[in-house]
Amino acid sequence: MSSEPVIGEPEIAALVRERLPDIPFEASETKTYADLRVAPEHFLALVTGLRDDAELSFDLLRNIVALDMEEAGLEAKYQLYSFPHGHALQITVPAPIPSCELPSLTGLYPAANWHEREAAEMVGLVFTGHPDPRNLLLEEDLRIHPLRKAHPLQKAEILQGIEDGPPGVEV
Amino acid sequence: MSVWPEERVTTAEGDLDTVDMTVNVGPQHPATHGVFRMVLTVDGELVVGCEPYIGYLHRGLEKLSENADYRQAMGWWDRTDYLAGMCCEGAYTMAVERLAGIEVPERADYIRVIMMELSRINSHFMFLGAFGADVGSFGTSFVYAWRERERIYDLFEEVAGDRMFPTYFRIGGVTMDLPDNFESRCRWVLGSIKQGLEDMDGLLTGNEVFVERCRGLTPVTPEQAIAWGFTGPMLRATGVPWDIRKAEPYSVYPKLDFEIPVGVQGDVFDRFHVRLAECYQSVRIIEQCLEQMPEGRVLAPKLPKTLRINDGELYMPTEGTKGEYGVYLMAQGGTNPYRAKLRSPSFCNLSALTELVVGSYVADAIIILGSLDIVLGEVDK
Repeated sequence: MSSEPVIGEPEIAALVRERLPDIPFEASETKTYADLRVAPEHFLALVTGLRDDAELSFDLLRNIVALDMEEAGLEAKYQLYSFPHGHALQITVPAPIPSCELPSLTGLYPAANWHEREAAEMVGLVFTGHPDPRNLLLEEDLRIHPLRKAHPLQKAEILQGIEDGPPGVEV
Repeated sequence: MSVWPEERVTTAEGDLDTVDMTVNVGPQHPATHGVFRMVLTVDGELVVGCEPYIGYLHRGLEKLSENADYRQAMGWWDRTDYLAGMCCEGAYTMAVERLAGIEVPERADYIRVIMMELSRINSHFMFLGAFGADVGSFGTSFVYAWRERERIYDLFEEVAGDRMFPTYFRIGGVTMDLPDNFESRCRWVLGSIKQGLEDMDGLLTGNEVFVERCRGLTPVTPEQAIAWGFTGPMLRATGVPWDIRKAEPYSVYPKLDFEIPVGVQGDVFDRFHVRLAECYQSVRIIEQCLEQMPEGRVLAPKLPKTLRINDGELYMPTEGTKGEYGVYLMAQGGTNPYRAKLRSPSFCNLSALTELVVGSYVADAIIILGSLDIVLGEVDK
C-alpha cells in the first residue's frame, strides 16, 4: 500500500502507453489526475488492460461522470484507482452520436452497476450489456434526462412521461 | 402426530411446502435510517432476495450546482451528508479552490480540519447510537450518543452560528475566526467525547449479546470490497489500511500524526469497531491541530468579488465520514461549473446490499443495513 501522494502524477500516461502499446489514446492533465481520452471502440480493451496488467492493476472503479457536451454529444468519464501501486487516473470516452451507446463495465467492475444506471437516467447514455437498466434515482416511468444541458432547471415534474430529445435539442 | 393432513404440508418430493413471501421495508421505517426502501423476499426467516429502491430524497444537487454561482452552491453540498456537513463543505470548497488556484491561509486549513474531524466524530456517534439500537440496546446507546452530539453541535453553533448546516467554509478559507474561548471549550468537548466513547465501548463492545450478534455476520474479503467499490470504514474493516487522508493527502493532514484503524475479517463487528477506533484518532488529530494552529488570517486576501473559472476539470477525492467523498467539477468559463458531480460513498457502499443481505436472517438484514452506515441525503444527492 503506497503512502506517497499521487495527485497530479504526470508519468502514469507514459506508463500506460508502455504497457498497452496497441491502444491509441490522447493523454492530458486535469488539476488532479492524468486524463486518457480514448475512442469508444478501444474503450473496453483499454479498461481491461488497465485492470489486468500487473504493472497497472487498476482494481477500484471510483466514479463515473456522465456529461452532455452539447454539439459534441455525450461523454463519460471514469475515475480509476490502483490499490497495489497507488496510481489514479481518469478515462474520457465520447459516446457515438446518435446511439449514445457505450459498453457496460459491470462485467469488469461490479461497482459500475449503480453508477451506470445513474449515468443512463441522468444524461441518456445507453450501456450495452447492463444487467439491470432501470431508473435508479428518478421515478421508474420517467423518461427524461435532467442533466442534459437542454433540459430546463424547473420542469422535471411537468414533463413527467415526456421523453427528452437527442443531446442539444430543446424540448 | 401432525394436526395437518399429510398432503397439505408436503410437496411431491416429500419436503415441506413453503411459499416465499415479499416483505416491504421502508421508505418510512426507522430501521432504514432515512427514506430508503428495500423489498425482501423471505423464505421463512431466511432472506432469499433483496431489491433496494433509492431516490426518495433526490433533490437534484448536480443540476442545481450547475445553475448556481460557485459560492451559492455550497449550501446544497452540506445537505448531502447531513450528519457531517463540514466534511461536505470541505470537499466542495477544496475542489473549487484547486480548480481556481486559490491558496488558503494555514490557520483556515487547521480550523477546517478541526471542524471536519468534529463532524466525523459526530457522524460516527450517530452510527454507534443508531446501530446499537438496531442490534437491540433500545434507547440507551442512542442517548449516550446524543449527549456528545449535542455538545459538538453546541460548539458548531458557537463557531459558525448553525448546527447541522453551518455553511461555515468559504472558498478561500472560512467565514470568520474562532471565538476567543474556543480552545478551552473544544478541549472540554474532547474530554466529554473521550468519556462518551468509553461509555459506548463499555455498553456495546462489553455486551456479550451485542458481540455475538455482530461477530461473523457477512464477512467481506478485501477483493470483494474493492470490486463492489467499498471505501472508508467499510473497506478498512476488511483489513485494507486505505484512508485518503494518508493515501492522497489534502489540507494539513500530512503534518498530523494519526493511525488508520483496520478490521480483520470485514464482518459487521469489524465495521462497528473500526468506526469506534476512528473517533479516538479524530480526537488525536484535533488535539494536534489545537497545538499547532498558527495565528493569522482565516480568509485568503484579494479574492475576486465574482469567482470566474476559465477552463479545467478535476476529480477531488476526500475522506468523508462514510468513505471516499469525491467531487468532480468541470469549468468552461463563467461563474457556474459546467458539470458538478458527487461521488457519494454511501451510494457505492449501498449498491452491494443485495449481495450482503441474501442468505442472512431477516433480523440480521436490519443489522447489516445498519452496519453500512448510509445517510440518504448522500445516497440520493
